[in-house]
Amino acid sequence: MQNVVFGIVTGSILAVATLGFALVRQTENFLNIAHAQMMALGAFVGVVLVDTYGMNIFAAGAITVVGLGALGVVLAAVFFAPVRHQGGTVLLFTSIGLALMMYAAILALFGTQARFYPDVSGSLHRIGGIGIATNELVIIGLAFGSIAALQLFLNSTGLGRAIRSVASNDDLARVRGVPVRTVSHTIWFISSAFGAMAGVMLGVLGSVNTEIGWHNILIVLAAAVLGGLRSITGVILAGLLLGIMMDVSALFIPTAYRPVVAFGVLVAVLILRPEGILSIQRRKDAVAA
Amino acid sequence: MTNPIFWVGVLTLALIYASLAMALNVESGWGGMWDLGIAGLLASGSYCYVILTAGPDLDMRFAPGLSMWVAWPLAALFTGLVAFAIGAPALRLRREYFLITTLAFAEIIRQLVVIQADFTRGTVGIPNINRPFDSFVSGREYNYVLLAIAAAAAAVMYLVTRQIGVSPFGRTLRAARDNEAVALALGKRVNRMRIQTFVLAGVLIGATAPVYLFYIRAISPQLFAPGITFTVWTALVIGGIGSIRGGLAGAFVLIVFTEAVGLIEVDPAHINILVAIEPFLVGLLLVLVLRFRPDGLFSERTAFGAGGRSNSRARDPRPAEPAATSGG
Repeated sequence: MQNVVFGIVTGSILAVATLGFALVRQTENFLNIAHAQMMALGAFVGVVLVDTYGMNIFAAGAITVVGLGALGVVLAAVFFAPVRHQGGTVLLFTSIGLALMMYAAILALFGTQARFYPDVSGSLHRIGGIGIATNELVIIGLAFGSIAALQLFLNSTGLGRAIRSVASNDDLARVRGVPVRTVSHTIWFISSAFGAMAGVMLGVLGSVNTEIGWHNILIVLAAAVLGGLRSITGVILAGLLLGIMMDVSALFIPTAYRPVVAFGVLVAVLILRPEGILSIQRRKDAVAA
Repeated sequence: MTNPIFWVGVLTLALIYASLAMALNVESGWGGMWDLGIAGLLASGSYCYVILTAGPDLDMRFAPGLSMWVAWPLAALFTGLVAFAIGAPALRLRREYFLITTLAFAEIIRQLVVIQADFTRGTVGIPNINRPFDSFVSGREYNYVLLAIAAAAAAVMYLVTRQIGVSPFGRTLRAARDNEAVALALGKRVNRMRIQTFVLAGVLIGATAPVYLFYIRAISPQLFAPGITFTVWTALVIGGIGSIRGGLAGAFVLIVFTEAVGLIEVDPAHINILVAIEPFLVGLLLVLVLRFRPDGLFSERTAFGAGGRSNSRARDPRPAEPAATSGG
């Protein structure tokens, strides 16, 4: 059971990171490989604010999330907007280039030494024999709080509706006068902010090192594909499922296999059910057949 | 700065990357299969070669101690088999899903190398890999031997891939990439051709792997992180996807550029910046080429004369699909 709790914590972080990734995939129509480098950058900026400048973890987290959200908007305008008309593959390779550049920037700015958030775990609570630390509770709470906030934003504000219209048919949205540019900025802000938040959370749980981005991109891709890239619920479920599977599998097989489990699931899902676990298309087909 | 041995090394590395880029061009440029799993194939070939030639002193569970001339072709064959195992399920997927799957397979291979430490010595790695003619030539002069080996490998790769490119097989492959519906309607067995191509690229990459090892001299799983895949891709994108000369030229531009930066004298206090320069330059070149010259230095049109199709990748990403869907 203890491992299920660890899995839920890992899974909620993964869900936050993947939602940011899936939002861009849905509206800008490409896989943003640089997303995981935004997570790494978030982890580093957070640790520097807390460790070097002695800031409170929540203040540091908030500054990191907002700051990197804004950085995401700028990076998208500089790197992705000019090649947008060339289609998904060029955008994808541009994002690989951007990921390499961000990785280089992280190396140059923060060095290769692993860093740690100082003493943020808080006290250990015991609920029916299962231990959970304060920081893990806070992470789960914040993760689901922000996902719920995003859901609310997408469903009940004008801008949220505009985003969803661009996601379902961007040509039609443009023709109908949806402010596509504002929508694009908002999406990049949310996506990068979610990535940065997931990065800070990962850093709080473990250590912060320069390889975080490359380690996480495949896990995020796995969760995104498993979730089907289209539904928020699917992404949340996929994140939790992957997190729990990775942490529970540690009971049966050596922990070294943790990433292999995630990639194995990814490959299995792609081959057996390429539309994801909660695919609308599949359900439509099932009804039709 | 004027040390000739340094430039011999740079040239050797450029030729190795050029070989890999030309192999990648067969499957990705002509076959249209966007493979992000080069690192995994290279790892398969490299570890197969190293394990087969390992001496008993390394204390590995399986060390037949074969001659390198036997192990080399076996490494190529083994990589072909790995490519088949990856390609058979992955080729059922389209575009970005194929790309994710190959990336995931490459990462699985790398993790397996780490985990199966009995066979591969895991993260410890294997130093002092045997090199051909090592006993005849020693020290500094060996760098020239290595350059000759890499040049020969690149020349063979150039001839082989050019032969594929101008053959009916290569033409059909490009036709199927540009318009699958038409190729199918003409009775071409597109899926079978794709898997053949994927395996062939695997064999070519596996055959290049030992040359890479001769250059690197020591093997560890760290070498086969996704970074190497991205570097080969960048070389091909810079040179021009779909053209053989492109892979060759792109690798030279990229490697000379990134290695020359290593010559800059840096204060030890700023060593971080030196480490960061290579990924930064690779990334920057990739971004700039995609933005200002998406066809690369040599486009596919120049590779096959005026009669060739224009490169459909950038301007018209999915020519076949609307026709296919409206018909059904």
